[in-house]
Amino acid sequence: MKIAVVGKGGSGKTTTTGVLARTFARSGHATLALDCDSNPNLGISLGIGEEATERLMSVRDAVDAGTEEHASSADDLVERFGVEAPDGVRLAVVTAIQNPEPGCP
Amino acid sequence: MRVAFVGKGGAGKSSLAGTFARVLGAAGQRVLALDSDPMPGLAFSLGVAQRDAGLPDEAVEEYDDGGRRRYRLRDGLTGTGAIEKYAVRGPDGVYLLQLGKARGPRWDNTRQHFGFQQVIDDLPGDGWHVVGDLPGGTRQPFLTWGRYAQTFLVVVEPTPASMLTGRRLAKLATTASAPAVMVVANKVSDPADAMRVAERTGLPLLGAVPHDPALYRADQCGRAVLDHDPDGPTAGAVRSLVAALRRRTEPA
Repeated sequence: MKIAVVGKGGSGKTTTTGVLARTFARSGHATLALDCDSNPNLGISLGIGEEATERLMSVRDAVDAGTEEHASSADDLVERFGVEAPDGVRLAVVTAIQNPEPGCP
Repeated sequence: MRVAFVGKGGAGKSSLAGTFARVLGAAGQRVLALDSDPMPGLAFSLGVAQRDAGLPDEAVEEYDDGGRRRYRLRDGLTGTGAIEKYAVRGPDGVYLLQLGKARGPRWDNTRQHFGFQQVIDDLPGDGWHVVGDLPGGTRQPFLTWGRYAQTFLVVVEPTPASMLTGRRLAKLATTASAPAVMVVANKVSDPADAMRVAERTGLPLLGAVPHDPALYRADQCGRAVLDHDPDGPTAGAVRSLVAALRRRTEPA
Protein backbone atom coordinates (compact mmCIF):
# COMPACT_ATOMS: atom_id res chain seq x y z
CA MET A 1 0.00 0.00 0.00
CA LYS A 2 1.34 3.47 -0.94
CA ILE A 3 -0.28 6.55 0.57
CA ALA A 4 0.46 10.24 -0.10
CA VAL A 5 -0.85 12.86 2.34
CA VAL A 6 -1.54 16.32 0.88
CA GLY A 7 -3.33 19.51 1.91
CA LYS A 8 -2.98 23.18 2.79
CA GLY A 9 -0.16 24.35 5.04
CA GLY A 10 -0.95 23.83 8.70
CA SER A 11 -3.90 21.52 8.06
CA GLY A 12 -2.16 18.56 9.68
CA LYS A 13 -0.42 16.63 6.88
CA THR A 14 2.75 15.90 8.83
CA THR A 15 0.96 14.95 12.05
CA THR A 16 -1.41 12.65 10.14
CA THR A 17 1.49 11.04 8.27
CA GLY A 18 3.43 10.41 11.46
CA VAL A 19 0.49 8.73 13.18
CA LEU A 20 -0.41 6.67 10.10
CA ALA A 21 3.16 5.41 9.69
CA ARG A 22 3.55 4.39 13.31
CA THR A 23 0.11 2.78 13.37
CA PHE A 24 0.94 0.61 10.34
CA ALA A 25 4.30 -0.30 11.83
CA ARG A 26 2.68 -1.28 15.15
CA SER A 27 0.33 -3.63 13.35
CA GLY A 28 3.31 -5.44 11.86
CA HIS A 29 3.75 -3.81 8.43
CA ALA A 30 7.21 -2.86 7.22
CA THR A 31 6.73 0.90 6.91
CA LEU A 32 8.69 3.53 5.02
CA ALA A 33 7.85 7.18 5.77
CA LEU A 34 9.03 9.62 3.10
CA ASP A 35 9.32 13.32 3.87
CA CYS A 36 8.97 15.11 0.53
CA ASP A 37 8.57 18.57 2.05
CA SER A 38 11.25 21.18 1.29
CA ASN A 39 10.85 22.09 4.97
CA PRO A 40 11.02 18.57 6.40
CA ASN A 41 9.47 18.16 9.87
CA LEU A 42 8.14 14.60 9.72
CA GLY A 43 10.91 13.46 12.08
CA ILE A 44 9.37 15.54 14.83
CA SER A 45 5.91 13.98 14.34
CA LEU A 46 7.42 10.49 14.27
CA GLY A 47 9.24 11.21 17.51
CA ILE A 48 12.95 11.13 16.59
CA GLY A 49 13.52 14.61 18.03
CA GLU A 50 14.79 17.88 16.64
CA GLU A 51 18.48 17.06 16.37
CA ALA A 52 17.98 13.90 14.34
CA THR A 53 15.44 15.72 12.15
CA GLU A 54 17.96 18.46 11.44
CA ARG A 55 20.70 15.93 10.75
CA LEU A 56 18.59 14.29 8.04
CA MET A 57 17.92 17.68 6.48
CA SER A 58 21.59 18.58 6.41
CA VAL A 59 22.48 15.31 4.63
CA ARG A 60 19.80 16.12 2.06
CA ASP A 61 21.03 19.74 1.71
CA ALA A 62 24.58 18.46 1.16
CA VAL A 63 23.42 16.92 -2.15
CA ASP A 64 22.36 20.36 -3.43
CA ALA A 65 25.62 21.82 -2.15
CA GLY A 66 27.58 19.16 -4.05
CA THR A 67 29.28 17.71 -0.97
CA GLU A 68 27.18 14.53 -0.79
CA GLU A 69 26.85 11.94 -3.54
CA HIS A 70 23.50 11.44 -5.22
CA ALA A 71 21.79 8.18 -4.34
CA SER A 72 22.69 5.33 -6.69
CA SER A 73 19.58 3.25 -5.98
CA ALA A 74 16.36 3.34 -4.02
CA ASP A 75 17.98 1.23 -1.26
CA ASP A 76 20.95 3.61 -1.08
CA LEU A 77 18.52 6.55 -0.87
CA VAL A 78 16.62 5.07 2.06
CA GLU A 79 19.86 4.04 3.74
CA ARG A 80 21.85 7.28 3.51
CA PHE A 81 19.01 9.78 3.70
CA GLY A 82 17.07 7.84 6.28
CA VAL A 83 16.99 6.88 9.93
CA GLU A 84 15.22 4.42 12.17
CA ALA A 85 12.19 5.94 13.94
CA PRO A 86 10.05 4.57 16.81
CA ASP A 87 7.97 1.41 16.19
CA GLY A 88 10.47 0.43 13.50
CA VAL A 89 9.34 2.99 10.93
CA ARG A 90 12.09 3.87 8.45
CA LEU A 91 12.10 7.62 7.76
CA ALA A 92 13.86 9.15 4.75
CA VAL A 93 14.01 12.78 3.62
CA VAL A 94 13.52 12.75 -0.16
CA THR A 95 12.71 16.34 -1.08
CA ALA A 96 12.89 16.86 -4.85
CA ILE A 97 16.44 17.71 -5.88
CA GLN A 98 17.24 20.75 -8.03
CA ASN A 99 19.65 19.13 -10.50
CA PRO A 100 18.94 15.42 -10.85
CA GLU A 101 21.68 13.27 -12.34
CA PRO A 102 21.00 10.57 -14.94
CA GLY A 103 19.87 7.42 -13.19
CA CYS A 104 18.95 9.24 -10.00
CA PRO A 105 16.25 7.18 -8.25
CA MET B 1 8.64 49.92 5.29
CA ARG B 2 9.02 46.80 3.17
CA VAL B 3 8.21 43.70 5.09
CA ALA B 4 7.60 40.06 4.14
CA PHE B 5 5.89 37.49 6.35
CA VAL B 6 7.40 33.99 6.31
CA GLY B 7 7.03 30.87 8.43
CA LYS B 8 5.78 27.31 8.54
CA GLY B 9 2.49 26.52 6.81
CA GLY B 10 -0.40 27.36 9.13
CA ALA B 11 1.71 29.55 11.45
CA GLY B 12 -0.56 32.52 10.73
CA LYS B 13 1.36 34.47 8.07
CA SER B 14 -1.66 35.51 6.02
CA SER B 15 -3.80 36.44 9.01
CA LEU B 16 -1.10 38.63 10.47
CA ALA B 17 0.10 40.12 7.15
CA GLY B 18 -3.40 41.17 6.11
CA THR B 19 -4.19 42.69 9.49
CA PHE B 20 -0.77 44.38 9.52
CA ALA B 21 -1.38 45.94 6.08
CA ARG B 22 -4.79 47.26 7.12
CA VAL B 23 -3.50 48.76 10.35
CA LEU B 24 -0.93 50.69 8.29
CA GLY B 25 -3.60 51.68 5.79
CA ALA B 26 -5.92 52.90 8.53
CA ALA B 27 -3.11 55.18 9.71
CA GLY B 28 -3.32 56.96 6.35
CA GLN B 29 -0.33 55.21 4.76
CA ARG B 30 -0.16 54.01 1.14
CA VAL B 31 0.09 50.26 1.39
CA LEU B 32 0.65 47.56 -1.22
CA ALA B 33 -0.22 44.09 0.06
CA LEU B 34 1.41 41.31 -1.95
CA ASP B 35 0.19 37.74 -1.98
CA SER B 36 2.96 35.62 -3.48
CA ASP B 37 1.40 32.35 -2.45
CA PRO B 38 0.10 30.28 -5.38
CA MET B 39 -2.65 29.25 -2.95
CA PRO B 40 -3.61 32.83 -2.09
CA GLY B 41 -5.22 33.56 1.25
CA LEU B 42 -4.34 37.17 1.91
CA ALA B 43 -7.61 38.52 0.48
CA PHE B 44 -9.50 36.96 3.42
CA SER B 45 -7.56 38.70 6.16
CA LEU B 46 -7.63 41.98 4.23
CA GLY B 47 -11.40 41.74 3.88
CA VAL B 48 -11.22 41.94 0.07
CA ALA B 49 -14.20 40.21 -1.51
CA GLN B 50 -12.59 39.82 -4.93
CA ARG B 51 -10.52 36.65 -4.99
CA ASP B 52 -8.61 37.25 -8.24
CA ALA B 53 -6.17 40.17 -8.10
CA GLY B 54 -3.25 39.04 -10.25
CA LEU B 55 -1.47 40.65 -13.18
CA PRO B 56 -3.20 39.61 -16.41
CA ASP B 57 -1.06 37.92 -19.08
CA GLU B 58 -1.09 41.03 -21.29
CA ALA B 59 0.64 43.09 -18.55
CA VAL B 60 3.83 41.07 -18.98
CA GLU B 61 5.78 40.66 -22.21
CA GLU B 62 8.39 38.12 -23.18
CA TYR B 63 11.68 39.26 -24.68
CA ASP B 64 14.90 37.71 -25.82
CA ASP B 65 18.06 38.45 -23.87
CA GLY B 66 21.03 36.93 -25.69
CA GLY B 67 19.11 33.72 -26.37
CA ARG B 68 17.46 33.60 -22.93
CA ARG B 69 13.76 34.07 -22.53
CA ARG B 70 12.97 36.84 -20.09
CA TYR B 71 9.92 38.73 -18.98
CA ARG B 72 9.20 42.38 -18.21
CA LEU B 73 6.25 44.68 -17.78
CA ARG B 74 4.61 45.65 -21.07
CA ASP B 75 6.21 48.66 -22.76
CA GLY B 76 4.98 51.85 -21.11
CA LEU B 77 3.63 50.12 -17.99
CA THR B 78 5.31 51.27 -14.76
CA GLY B 79 5.13 49.60 -11.37
CA THR B 80 2.84 52.28 -10.00
CA GLY B 81 0.77 52.16 -13.20
CA ALA B 82 0.37 48.40 -12.86
CA ILE B 83 -0.84 48.79 -9.29
CA GLU B 84 -3.35 51.47 -10.23
CA LYS B 85 -4.62 49.41 -13.13
CA TYR B 86 -4.58 45.86 -11.77
CA ALA B 87 -4.41 45.90 -7.97
CA VAL B 88 -7.68 45.56 -6.08
CA ARG B 89 -8.47 48.32 -3.59
CA GLY B 90 -9.62 46.93 -0.26
CA PRO B 91 -10.76 48.28 3.11
CA ASP B 92 -8.57 50.97 4.69
CA GLY B 93 -7.34 51.81 1.18
CA VAL B 94 -4.95 48.87 0.95
CA TYR B 95 -3.95 47.79 -2.58
CA LEU B 96 -3.84 44.02 -3.08
CA LEU B 97 -1.81 42.35 -5.81
CA GLN B 98 -1.59 38.58 -6.16
CA LEU B 99 1.04 36.54 -7.92
CA GLY B 100 -1.90 34.67 -9.38
CA LYS B 101 -3.61 31.44 -8.56
CA ALA B 102 -2.09 28.10 -9.37
CA ARG B 103 -4.00 26.81 -12.37
CA GLY B 104 -3.87 23.14 -13.24
CA PRO B 105 -1.40 20.55 -12.02
CA ARG B 106 1.66 21.92 -13.82
CA TRP B 107 1.06 25.66 -13.62
CA ASP B 108 4.02 27.68 -14.81
CA ASN B 109 4.13 30.98 -12.99
CA THR B 110 7.37 32.26 -14.55
CA ARG B 111 5.61 35.02 -16.47
CA GLN B 112 3.56 36.29 -13.53
CA HIS B 113 6.46 35.87 -11.17
CA PHE B 114 8.81 38.14 -13.12
CA GLY B 115 6.09 40.70 -13.84
CA PHE B 116 5.20 40.73 -10.15
CA GLN B 117 8.82 41.28 -9.13
CA GLN B 118 9.24 44.06 -11.63
CA VAL B 119 6.23 45.92 -10.27
CA ILE B 120 7.95 45.96 -6.89
CA ASP B 121 11.39 46.80 -8.28
CA ASP B 122 9.85 49.73 -10.15
CA LEU B 123 7.88 51.03 -7.20
CA PRO B 124 9.08 54.41 -6.02
CA GLY B 125 10.00 53.84 -2.40
CA ASP B 126 8.63 57.16 -1.28
CA GLY B 127 5.33 56.91 0.44
CA TRP B 128 4.71 53.22 -0.28
CA HIS B 129 4.70 50.51 2.32
CA VAL B 130 4.98 46.96 1.00
CA VAL B 131 3.58 44.09 3.08
CA GLY B 132 4.14 40.66 1.54
CA ASP B 133 2.81 37.20 2.33
CA LEU B 134 5.17 34.45 1.14
CA PRO B 135 4.46 30.75 0.63
CA GLY B 136 4.91 28.61 3.73
CA GLY B 137 8.12 26.76 4.42
CA THR B 138 11.77 27.38 3.71
CA ARG B 139 12.16 27.16 -0.05
CA GLN B 140 10.73 30.29 -1.75
CA PRO B 141 11.96 32.81 0.86
CA PHE B 142 15.53 31.78 -0.01
CA LEU B 143 14.94 32.20 -3.74
CA THR B 144 14.13 35.68 -5.04
CA TRP B 145 10.53 35.71 -3.85
CA GLY B 146 11.04 38.17 -1.04
CA ARG B 147 13.89 40.25 -2.40
CA TYR B 148 11.91 43.47 -1.92
CA ALA B 149 11.85 42.94 1.84
CA GLN B 150 14.00 45.05 4.12
CA THR B 151 12.56 43.12 7.04
CA PHE B 152 11.45 39.50 7.21
CA LEU B 153 8.98 38.77 9.96
CA VAL B 154 9.13 35.06 10.79
CA VAL B 155 5.79 33.94 12.24
CA VAL B 156 6.34 31.12 14.72
CA GLU B 157 4.00 29.16 16.97
CA PRO B 158 5.39 27.75 20.22
CA THR B 159 5.50 24.23 18.77
CA PRO B 160 8.65 22.23 17.92
CA ALA B 161 8.09 22.06 14.13
CA SER B 162 7.21 25.74 13.89
CA MET B 163 10.24 26.79 15.96
CA LEU B 164 12.52 24.51 13.92
CA THR B 165 11.21 26.15 10.73
CA GLY B 166 11.84 29.55 12.31
CA ARG B 167 15.42 28.59 13.05
CA ARG B 168 15.92 27.54 9.42
CA LEU B 169 14.43 30.86 8.25
CA ALA B 170 16.73 32.83 10.56
CA LYS B 171 19.44 32.19 7.95
CA LEU B 172 17.67 34.68 5.67
CA ALA B 173 19.75 37.32 7.46
CA THR B 174 22.85 35.99 5.67
CA THR B 175 21.35 36.27 2.15
CA ALA B 176 22.49 38.84 -0.43
CA SER B 177 20.33 41.81 0.58
CA ALA B 178 21.17 41.30 4.30
CA PRO B 179 17.61 41.97 5.46
CA ALA B 180 16.61 42.39 9.08
CA VAL B 181 15.01 39.18 10.35
CA MET B 182 12.76 39.21 13.41
CA VAL B 183 10.36 36.75 14.94
CA VAL B 184 6.69 37.21 15.81
CA ALA B 185 5.49 34.67 18.35
CA ASN B 186 1.97 33.68 17.33
CA LYS B 187 -0.83 31.81 19.13
CA VAL B 188 0.92 32.19 22.49
CA SER B 189 -0.84 31.24 25.72
CA ASP B 190 1.53 32.87 28.19
CA PRO B 191 4.55 35.20 28.11
CA ALA B 192 6.96 32.28 28.55
CA ASP B 193 5.86 31.01 25.11
CA ALA B 194 7.14 34.18 23.43
CA MET B 195 10.46 33.98 25.24
CA ARG B 196 10.84 30.32 24.22
CA VAL B 197 10.12 31.18 20.58
CA ALA B 198 12.80 33.90 20.61
CA GLU B 199 15.30 31.62 22.30
CA ARG B 200 14.70 28.58 20.08
CA THR B 201 14.79 30.52 16.82
CA GLY B 202 17.70 32.70 17.91
CA LEU B 203 15.86 35.72 16.51
CA PRO B 204 15.02 39.09 18.08
CA LEU B 205 11.37 39.19 19.15
CA LEU B 206 9.29 41.97 17.57
CA GLY B 207 6.21 41.03 19.55
CA ALA B 208 3.71 38.33 20.44
CA VAL B 209 0.16 37.64 19.32
CA PRO B 210 -2.06 35.70 21.73
CA HIS B 211 -3.99 32.57 20.88
CA ASP B 212 -7.33 34.07 19.83
CA PRO B 213 -10.52 32.00 19.34
CA ALA B 214 -12.05 34.97 17.48
CA LEU B 215 -9.49 34.42 14.73
CA TYR B 216 -10.78 30.89 14.15
CA ARG B 217 -14.36 32.13 14.06
CA ALA B 218 -13.41 34.87 11.58
CA ASP B 219 -11.66 32.23 9.44
CA GLN B 220 -14.65 29.94 9.54
CA CYS B 221 -16.98 32.62 8.19
CA GLY B 222 -14.39 33.93 5.71
CA ARG B 223 -14.11 37.37 7.28
CA ALA B 224 -11.12 39.53 8.13
CA VAL B 225 -10.42 39.31 11.85
CA LEU B 226 -10.20 43.10 11.85
CA ASP B 227 -13.85 43.29 10.72
CA HIS B 228 -15.02 40.38 12.87
CA ASP B 229 -13.43 41.56 16.11
CA PRO B 230 -11.93 45.05 15.54
CA ASP B 231 -10.82 45.56 19.13
CA GLY B 232 -9.97 41.95 19.99
CA PRO B 233 -6.63 40.44 21.03
CA THR B 234 -5.31 39.85 17.47
CA ALA B 235 -6.10 43.39 16.29
CA GLY B 236 -4.52 44.86 19.42
CA ALA B 237 -1.39 42.76 19.14
CA VAL B 238 -0.93 43.56 15.44
CA ARG B 239 -1.29 47.29 16.18
CA SER B 240 1.57 46.89 18.65
CA LEU B 241 3.64 45.04 16.02
CA VAL B 242 3.11 47.83 13.50
CA ALA B 243 4.07 50.47 16.06
CA ALA B 244 7.16 48.50 17.11
CA LEU B 245 8.38 48.02 13.55
CA ARG B 246 7.72 51.66 12.64
CA ARG B 247 9.80 52.73 15.62
CA ARG B 248 12.65 50.56 14.31
CA THR B 249 12.43 51.44 10.61
CA GLU B 250 11.39 55.10 10.76
CA PRO B 251 13.66 56.70 13.32
CA ALA B 252 12.35 60.06 14.48
